[in-house]
Amino acid sequence: MSNLNEENNILRDTVREFCEKNLDEKKIEEEKIDNNINSLLASQGFLGAKISSKYGGSELDDISYHIILEEFSKYLPSIAMKIFMINSLYLPSVINTEYESYLPDVSSGKMNVSVDFMNNKYKLEYSNNVNGTVENILNTDAENIVLFDGKTTIVEGPFKTREKDFMGFKGLKFGSIELNNKYNVIDKNSRKEKIMENSYNDLSAIALGIISGAIDKAMNYSRVRTVFGAYLKNYEPLVFKLSEMYSKENILRSILYSNLDKYYTFNFAMNSIVEIARFSVNTHGGYGYFKDFGVEKFYRDAIILKSVFYGNNELKQLSNHIYSEKLTFI
Amino acid sequence: MFEEYDDYRKQIREFGLKEFTDEVAAKYDRGEEYPDYLRKKSLSVGIIDMHNPAKILISIEELCRVDAGLGISVTTPYFGAEVLMLFGNDKQKEFLNDVYSGKYVLGLGVTEASGGSDVAHIKTTATKKGDKYILNGSKMFITNGAIADYLVVLARTSDEDKPHHGLSTFLLSTKLNGFKANKLTGKLGVRATNTAELTFNNIELNSEDLIGEEGKGFYYIMAFFNISRIYVAAQALGIAEGAFDKIQDYIKANEIKDENTMFEIADVATRIEAAKELTYNAASYLFKFEPRPQLTSMAKAYAGETAVYASEKAMEILGTNSLEENVERIFRNAKIMEIWEGTSEVEKLVISRFILKGE
Ligand SMILES: Cc1cc2nc3c(=O)[nH]c(=O)nc-3n(C[C@H](O)[C@H](O)[C@H](O)COP(=O)(O)OP(=O)(O)OC[C@H]3O[C@@H](n4cnc5c(N)ncnc54)[C@H](O)[C@@H]3O)c2cc1C
Repeated sequence: MSNLNEENNILRDTVREFCEKNLDEKKIEEEKIDNNINSLLASQGFLGAKISSKYGGSELDDISYHIILEEFSKYLPSIAMKIFMINSLYLPSVINTEYESYLPDVSSGKMNVSVDFMNNKYKLEYSNNVNGTVENILNTDAENIVLFDGKTTIVEGPFKTREKDFMGFKGLKFGSIELNNKYNVIDKNSRKEKIMENSYNDLSAIALGIISGAIDKAMNYSRVRTVFGAYLKNYEPLVFKLSEMYSKENILRSILYSNLDKYYTFNFAMNSIVEIARFSVNTHGGYGYFKDFGVEKFYRDAIILKSVFYGNNELKQLSNHIYSEKLTFI
Repeated sequence: MFEEYDDYRKQIREFGLKEFTDEVAAKYDRGEEYPDYLRKKSLSVGIIDMHNPAKILISIEELCRVDAGLGISVTTPYFGAEVLMLFGNDKQKEFLNDVYSGKYVLGLGVTEASGGSDVAHIKTTATKKGDKYILNGSKMFITNGAIADYLVVLARTSDEDKPHHGLSTFLLSTKLNGFKANKLTGKLGVRATNTAELTFNNIELNSEDLIGEEGKGFYYIMAFFNISRIYVAAQALGIAEGAFDKIQDYIKANEIKDENTMFEIADVATRIEAAKELTYNAASYLFKFEPRPQLTSMAKAYAGETAVYASEKAMEILGTNSLEENVERIFRNAKIMEIWEGTSEVEKLVISRFILKGE
């Protein structure tokens, strides 16, 4: 990776060491990211990776931020999602508003926040308080949540939540919230579309981590598992496919860190992620189907990432970008 | 094909829809608990007819269409029965009646920790001692392992130059001294089904527990898989159809009309239809006692991949709406179809070998 320098490599190693030393992926998936982990992430400057230093953040450049997302995602995508939510979604939601004042507490891990990026339609009533139910909130234990209800609104907790079992990003609490809460409109326009479009590279970094984690596990397994008297790495169809996938991983890393074109990169990432995560499960045979091997989580998170963040809308944006015009589809 | 069973199919679907509600499916999925009451209920209403393979196929397909975790749970207590039916002694065949009636739950133990694809290299041994066999070893990922009363087990009875020559099958009571089952948890899907790791410590088996002839076990198990794979194809077909039901419901309810989505549903529907044709075609040969293992393996591999494809498409097309438990559960269930009873890679080995043999 010619475009990554020594400092970038040191950062990568730092995140890896941090994960190995401090995080227990299975425990986090079962017990969720708690205050302790939040504080740890904050103390290393990961939580506020992109937040300005005047608010106690690390104010990192894009490459460093993407290395952090990639490496955490490779270990446990839930952690990357948490950092992404703060830096790619919450930060641009509150920037240039009075709610910038929350940022010091956010980057120090004292304030847990969330952004609803899943819902497109809301049935909410507004008076002094906002009332109604919002489904599919990730990180429901947040103290305040940003909603894109045609505007950009911040709703203050505490929230009455109903937790649901959710197969994706299991380290974060997920469920619905029943609102009868104070709110403030922080922008009369919804910032969602722009925020999402601006986060393509960030999401690609998370996808890259999932891809890289899945391939690493599969390749390692292929070196130690024997079938029919030979190591898996000696079987053509399996190794040809893994090698092809490894090439894709490195193409993705290269286009991401050279900042080629966020639309191409995102499209490439989303078109590779599920197939690769799935094949890693396959390579592990029956073991791949059990959480002990830490590989099925990549498949779960991969399909959620793709299903939630990539669809017709994103394909339209890609096409508009390529045709350099806003296309009208029949 | 199988149109003569349309009424039966309807009856099964009604049972599935009535009993396998989203709440029930979610409960047993979350709790990783075997729904024994549903097994009993499915028997009491007579929807499981083990004497008619076409009916078995249809019931598996229709029940897995509603929910694969529950569908497989109620149709798998008979797993391994064909080994006894084809190769068992009179007593063992008679014993099958107690399995079909629901008195006993059966399972089949072939896979070991060191390998599932490579059946010939299993390490469990059954050493002859007088007129007894002493069973030692372990098995991995055995469906019904911790709830079964009896298991059909493959073990090595002699060392031969060709490893698949010295294997034999036994009918093992799980009540015997030396048997231990450790329930495995943390599966991605089909979590209502029971999966266990088994250990055999000096279990004494009688010679009448041997199924068929000594040394023929490998062939019996391969013959069994050539039958049971058709039922896995039916599980997979059901899962794919269930995923497609969700896609259609969503598209209709939300009046989605964009052409890209229309093309996607056309692709899913086409693949399901192809998987169905392949499965029913392979089944029709099998049920006429003219098995064509390559067709069965094609059906299993293709239907398995179609289940995965359709469930992933359901997730993608429904987008954030797919996060509902009863859609993502389909996705989690589907993946096992490419793994058990021969991974897709193993099916490809079977297919190419049979084709080149010109059979
Ligand atoms: C939930 C569950 C329930 C199960 N129930 C039962 C049961 O009731 N009874 C039972 O006996 N078993 C059962 N199994 C075991 C299952 O059948 C095996 O997991 C499966 O056969 C694969 O074996 P393995 O896990 O050892 O993978 P391996 O054999 O180690 O295979 C690893 C990988 O190598 C690939 N591979 C193997 N050979 C080749 C080759 N020649 N060329 C290229 N690739 C190859 C495989 O496709 C796979 O991707 C169950 C498994 C699960 C997960």
